[in-house]
Amino acid sequence: MASVTFSNVKKIYGDNEVLHKVNLEIQDKEFLILVGPSGCGKSTLLRMLAGLEEISSGEIAIDGQVVNDLPPRDRQLAMVFQDYALYPHMTVEENMSFGLRIRKLPQEEIDSRVMDAANTLQIQKFLKRKPRQLSGGQRQRVAIGRAIVRKPKVFLFDEPLSNLDAKLREEMRVELAKLHKKLGATMVYVTHDQVEAMTLASRIAVMHAGYIQQIGTPIEVYSRPDNIFVAGFIGSPTMNFMDGSLETEGELLYFKNEAMKLRVPFPLCEGAEFDRNAVVLGVRPEDVYTERKLDKNLGDMVRAKVEVVELLGHRKNVYLECGKSRLLATVPALFKTEEAMFLWFDMDRVHLFDKASGKRIC
Amino acid sequence: MTELRRSTPRFKWGIFAVHAALILACVINIYPLLRIISVSLRPGNRLISTDLALIPDGATLLSYVSVIKNTNFLLWLWNSLIITVATSLIGVILASTAGYAFSRFRFPGNKLGLTLLLGTQMIPAGMLLLPLFLMVMKLGLINTYLGMVIAYSVSSLPFSIWILKGYYDTVPRSLEEAAMVDGTTQFGAFYRIVLPLSTPALAIAFLFNFTAAWNEYLVARVILSNSAKYTWTLGLFELQGQFITQWGMFAAGSVLITIPVLMVFLYSSKWLVSGLTLGSVKG
Repeated sequence: MASVTFSNVKKIYGDNEVLHKVNLEIQDKEFLILVGPSGCGKSTLLRMLAGLEEISSGEIAIDGQVVNDLPPRDRQLAMVFQDYALYPHMTVEENMSFGLRIRKLPQEEIDSRVMDAANTLQIQKFLKRKPRQLSGGQRQRVAIGRAIVRKPKVFLFDEPLSNLDAKLREEMRVELAKLHKKLGATMVYVTHDQVEAMTLASRIAVMHAGYIQQIGTPIEVYSRPDNIFVAGFIGSPTMNFMDGSLETEGELLYFKNEAMKLRVPFPLCEGAEFDRNAVVLGVRPEDVYTERKLDKNLGDMVRAKVEVVELLGHRKNVYLECGKSRLLATVPALFKTEEAMFLWFDMDRVHLFDKASGKRIC
Repeated sequence: MTELRRSTPRFKWGIFAVHAALILACVINIYPLLRIISVSLRPGNRLISTDLALIPDGATLLSYVSVIKNTNFLLWLWNSLIITVATSLIGVILASTAGYAFSRFRFPGNKLGLTLLLGTQMIPAGMLLLPLFLMVMKLGLINTYLGMVIAYSVSSLPFSIWILKGYYDTVPRSLEEAAMVDGTTQFGAFYRIVLPLSTPALAIAFLFNFTAAWNEYLVARVILSNSAKYTWTLGLFELQGQFITQWGMFAAGSVLITIPVLMVFLYSSKWLVSGLTLGSVKG
């Protein structure tokens, strides 16, 4: 197994720079997930690691060896594609053994590796079938099997679950987590689905517009987002944002806008540069309370008007209008909503960002 | 109900028109073939007959025996076969690689090259006759198989390249990428993955080259003057004399030369299956 290092990696198509000096270090045996919206450059980064895209500048190293000029076949990686990319004219067995046959491994070795992988993925029954005779989930297993038999240094996954239906996706997610645990391999996984990122990753790299916005463990990224983009992208339902300003009264700091005045109970980052008159308060829907809780550091009361209520079964999503901002609160399903409501935010879990730069200031 | 009543008669008329057109097309296609078979079986040397029977009175295979025995028919057939098979194979091999380059690589002149290739197909065959002759002559290949193969290949290549390029475009790139990550070179991915999946297009290109070369007359007339190198098109034409034409032998020869083409068609049909890439990628 191996570590991977990206140093100042750029990708330029014509005049269009799609990746800007990406620096990223992936540890041995780590499950790193590159997550971001469509077009953020995450797949390009993965394909550059695989050797399928040229590197415009910078260096990519696997286990300390720079691989910029190595063709894909010499990088000792295996990749699982979004559309499976199974060879349609070969059986499942031939698909899985293709890479080993190319490398002229002894037949017994090939057979035993294919059987091992087939057992792990429970596809022994399909070995003699062609890909067209398999369902989407089975095809995806074969594609993963094709990667496993190679015993690569690094596994690459390019949105492997995005073509599966919701239930199957959930199942495969668990399978992948088990697989990582069993193989103990370095895995780089690209997805736009932040649920996959949160559940599978050892570390997440959130990407946007060709930049890595934040790298950290799922809980770090969730509870201390570095900027408004990460705060809005990670977490479902998404974080509420309210514009306002910061004011000091005596020794106390307050966040103020047309609908609320909340005391900020934590210090701001030292040296952070921002305009006090244009800041953004972020609060996750689950940190919005509709009644006082003594065990929480709830701030001052905020008045809001109910716009829409969505019943999800176990919870309710309540969309509210609070001054110029729209807010979402998730409340217990049995909670009785009225036209107007009083809200409290868990002030230990709110976030403050500079509106202009989007950066975290607390 | 009213809707049904109104639409049914119109529907029937449409079906009738389609069938009438199809039947007419079949008749137009099959009639000459049947006439030729009929003429080849007639005793004597009669082209015109009032008899409408497919197998005429006193039907005989004498014309067949005589075209094989009394002419160089088998030699012409052999010449045609060598030239045609060589042309088809070389054409398919060159077109398969050229088409792949046009489909997969971005290089300066990619679009221009494709347009020029298409442009050559707009030029009438007659206009190419002289340049082709000069080219083959300068190569010193007049009266040779190689000269014929080159002349035929260059004229059928553009079409084959277009067919194959179009087909490769439908083969998902991720298959080659998967193969390259699995350990092949770009050529290996082409050879092991793309080519086996492109057999329908390869078969069509082969058939096109085969029939075009097999039935060609004009270029052969210009390049081949030695009767030992004649293809069947030239050979059969020899039977047409100034004063007398051996219609029986001509017809018998014509029937015989359809046999190889028919066999190639029947054999290729098994490759002409669609949906080879089914199941490779999502969908």
